[in-house]
Amino acid sequence: MEPLRPGRMSVPGITEPKDLIVRARAGDTQAWGDLYREYAPAIFRFCRRAMPTREDAEDATMEIFMKLRDKLSQYDPSRSFTAWLYKVAANHCWDLLRRRRARHDKDMEDVEELPLETPEPNQLEKLIEERSSDEVRKALSTLGARARMALVMRYYSDMSYDEIADALGVRRPFVGVVLLRARHELRQALEGRGVLVAGGTQ
Amino acid sequence: MSEQDTTRHCDELTLMMYVERQLDREAAQEVSLHTQTCTRCLTLLRALDRESRLLTRSMLEQDEPLPARLAEFHEQAKRSMRWIWGIFFGLAALGVYAFYTEYIAGFQSQLEQAGFGSSNLLSLMVFQGAFYKGWLSMFTLVEFVALASVAALGVFAIRKYLRRGTALAVMFASLGLFAAFVTPAPASAAEFRKNDTVTVGKEETVKGDLYAMGDHVRIEGTVDGDLFGFGEQVEISGHVTGDLICFCQSLRISGQIDGNLRSMANNITLTGTIDRSATTFTELLTIEPNGKIGRNLTSFTKSLTLDGNLGRDLLTMIGKGTINGTIGGSLNAKGENLTINSSASIGGPAKFEGDNPANVSSEAKLASPLAYTKMEHKSHQRGPSFSVWTIIWAAAYVLFGLVLLSLLPSFSREASSNVENVGASFGLGVLVLFAVPIAAVIACVTVVGLFVGLATLFLWYGALYFAQIIVGATVGQWILGRVSDTWALIGRMVVGIILLRVAMAVPFLGIWIKFAVIVWGMGALSLAVYRRMQPTIAPNIPPVPLPGPTSPLPSNTTVGS
Repeated sequence: MEPLRPGRMSVPGITEPKDLIVRARAGDTQAWGDLYREYAPAIFRFCRRAMPTREDAEDATMEIFMKLRDKLSQYDPSRSFTAWLYKVAANHCWDLLRRRRARHDKDMEDVEELPLETPEPNQLEKLIEERSSDEVRKALSTLGARARMALVMRYYSDMSYDEIADALGVRRPFVGVVLLRARHELRQALEGRGVLVAGGTQ
Repeated sequence: MSEQDTTRHCDELTLMMYVERQLDREAAQEVSLHTQTCTRCLTLLRALDRESRLLTRSMLEQDEPLPARLAEFHEQAKRSMRWIWGIFFGLAALGVYAFYTEYIAGFQSQLEQAGFGSSNLLSLMVFQGAFYKGWLSMFTLVEFVALASVAALGVFAIRKYLRRGTALAVMFASLGLFAAFVTPAPASAAEFRKNDTVTVGKEETVKGDLYAMGDHVRIEGTVDGDLFGFGEQVEISGHVTGDLICFCQSLRISGQIDGNLRSMANNITLTGTIDRSATTFTELLTIEPNGKIGRNLTSFTKSLTLDGNLGRDLLTMIGKGTINGTIGGSLNAKGENLTINSSASIGGPAKFEGDNPANVSSEAKLASPLAYTKMEHKSHQRGPSFSVWTIIWAAAYVLFGLVLLSLLPSFSREASSNVENVGASFGLGVLVLFAVPIAAVIACVTVVGLFVGLATLFLWYGALYFAQIIVGATVGQWILGRVSDTWALIGRMVVGIILLRVAMAVPFLGIWIKFAVIVWGMGALSLAVYRRMQPTIAPNIPPVPLPGPTSPLPSNTTVGS
């Protein structure tokens, strides 16, 4: 079987372990174990990016797989398993963050009220060129919960705007704005200017 | 390419949505056309595209391996251990049964008949026994509890910033530092002697503490420090300037102990002097006419004979007690029979709670008449009040479980999922249920370990209740379905607890159900603790290859020249 890729596992050309999924759905614990081993690293990394601490990410990963095992019978085999898996993971992480006041009113107010200044293209290019992946990850961890969650859903797990809207509980046309705001927050963090929104759980 | 119509630049959101392929065909064509002639928008478009790639690359990079605790789904890991644990559990159960019938059953029966509860036992050991070394120790205990509370709060406050291993390391390091500061440094290095026969000759002086281990341990000379004796027979005819701590079959003291005696032995005979207090767990304790204890005696014994002199109070649980000598303070005894003969003298109040009235000689010198109370054994009859108490207890468990599941949601869930690993949970449960209190009691016997031992006992005692809650939560999930949400889990826990309490109320069978539930839950809790203490890094998880960069732009769109 071709090795699965975390994040964009649903891109064309990457095959999903259909056989494992079918056997796991039928109650084969060995198949479930194999399925877990295939997907656990990707889901852990998803949680690691989305959740504030490593401990939270570990707990969330465990909980997501417990949830998945219970919901496996509800999975529609005609659809992408990876997409379904990320949907469950995103919903779970967002639920956790929301419960910790991440989905705070202030978060929404900030997003809706603060003006967005279009960046100078050359400056933006320069900023992107100079920053390493490590710096981006660190900056990401300083963002508000919703901004972080939106970026992770879009750029890690390749979720569609509809799926993001569904997970975050926002209107579909608003997703682009959320993502753009998140990018602005990220740029500010990369420039060392702090972030606009303090809605995270840091 | 030339710049045209620069007053109508595309806004950033439109460009980003173009990069994200979220524009409809018409809008996408407009952007495509515009960026063929507008350098500024083209540059921004490229920058946004590169930003997307940077974000994806940064997030996909495997900077941290999968933690070891996530390397396997729990049930998988557990299943592989099931046979091993099954065998281990079988052997352990056999060993525990043999140990119980051979050694504990008789003693337990005596304990129950004497009516000693666990709270009495603790207060007796801490405040009235030989462990109580005055108010200084009391302050130390209070200080320890206060500091431990502050430390626990501190760890709780910063727990999110500590890895589990680090948190444990900090905790143990703190305990170590605390012990180093609180416990006095030994005057000199300890000496260890191990042989068939260990002898300290008459002219010999051992400077510092002595650990003596052998079939026969004879101290004829001087030990200038504490003496720790382990052997079949221990005889002290010399001089010990510190405490004597002894585990043996037979202990005979004809010499001088300047400190305390703490001993667990089959029989103890005292013809010498103990300047301070004595605490003994023994079958036979004889204090000969020449024998003398300067302060208190706390004794758990089948047969006690006191012909000698006790400076202060006697607190004892006995099968049969005979007092011929002098007690300077009070007498507080529980047991079957007590005889106070004519030569006896008791300086303080005397109380006896027993099966039979004490036989007190009219010639005995008592400061006040002996107060006798008939010991009441627990009735096994069940009336309406039993049902009421069953309901009250079930409610108390639910409340306790509510608090625990709210305070430790993640840990509770882990423990609850461990319950389903029956073999491992039972195996570990048997071990923890029996080994921990034994280890804690042994720790209590040593001065340094007293606080650790007591703290462990408290934790263990609390875990007995927590175990039932965890099993209740799992039973609830079996009935109502598995959940990960804390409040849903609490709801299932309530259902499970009620069912368990009902099952435990069944005559005869109920007590065994309770025992099984406690063992089971205790094992699940221990497994959860064990898994949390495992290292967090799994070195053998292979890296996952990154996908090659893919263009997010529509294939039919031309960007730039």
